[in-house]
Amino acid sequence: MQSKLSDIELIDQVLAGNQAAYADLVKRHQRFVFTLAMRFAKGREDAEEIAQDCFIKAYRSLASFQRQSKFSTWLYSIVYTTAMTFLRKRRVDTDSIDDEDTYIQVENQSSAYDVNDAENKSRSFYLNQAIEQLLPDDATIITMFYKGEQSLEEIAQAMGMEANTIKVKLFRARQRLKEKLERNLKHEAKELI
Amino acid sequence: MNHIEEQLWNYIDGTCTADEQSAINKLIASDEAVRVKYHELLALNTEFATMELDEPSMAFTYNVIEAIRTEQAQAPLKAAINKRIIMGIALFFVLTLTGFLVFAFTKMDFAAMGSVNLGVKVPANFKMPEVSTAFSKPLVEGFMFFDVVLGLFLFDAYLRRKKQAHTN
Repeated sequence: MQSKLSDIELIDQVLAGNQAAYADLVKRHQRFVFTLAMRFAKGREDAEEIAQDCFIKAYRSLASFQRQSKFSTWLYSIVYTTAMTFLRKRRVDTDSIDDEDTYIQVENQSSAYDVNDAENKSRSFYLNQAIEQLLPDDATIITMFYKGEQSLEEIAQAMGMEANTIKVKLFRARQRLKEKLERNLKHEAKELI
Repeated sequence: MNHIEEQLWNYIDGTCTADEQSAINKLIASDEAVRVKYHELLALNTEFATMELDEPSMAFTYNVIEAIRTEQAQAPLKAAINKRIIMGIALFFVLTLTGFLVFAFTKMDFAAMGSVNLGVKVPANFKMPEVSTAFSKPLVEGFMFFDVVLGLFLFDAYLRRKKQAHTN
């Protein structure tokens, strides 16, 4: 019964003091928030920490949620800010978060893993692998657009950018994803031969 | 081709204008290369939509709620207690101490202080105002009753807030 309530109805219950309603909100959005966190953290432990931090921050600021946008858009803006802060902290050890070379390591690790896990490979596996190899911003935009049920305007709001910028970034992200997907599939075909 | 590809993506996303849409419709119908590209992008679009979401650990929701509870429990006492309660407690002490001080002064025998030289010269004809008669038994009892009621009221308010914090 509880799960049929809308986000706004659950928020009203939380603000009235029903903490169990917040657990329902968390359950509803945790997969997507965790996936977005994975786009930045590249490790389950860090991603869980980011996702947990996001839900705690959202709980603290729930009373200030203006309801002019979807709750999910507001929540994703928290995820994006938290994840960017996480990346900046981690940047002390790396050169740049915008540097695609940073992610070559991840790419190579994935390739090494592929050989031992050939049975599990499917088109979906390669797609997720290619997304992991994208820059965090590209992967976030692609994920929000295809899985977050967010319009370009809503993605722009969550990421603090202009809608036109997001449109251009989405186009480029799709191109890069397509290239990486093709490269991974070719690489795999070569290994099988 | 890049520009065409961008237009095709806009067409697929439904973000182009009606004029652009009609122009792309014509292009797809007339140009074989554009038609092939369109079907390729359409297939990619369908494939991208099949991406899987990652699943956090089983205890994720529990951990979030526990973290929130812990944070609330660790909130400083200053934030947890209403300012009115603090003011009430202060008022309670001020009233009580004032009452006792006034009572003590009226009961004090200043004549016995003659042997103690405090360096303060009290005029010979100085007399403390006679207020001890005002401290009749009913007044003292009334004062004590007020203090007890005020104390119980503040204690009740504190317990109510504590209970509410627990249920949250």
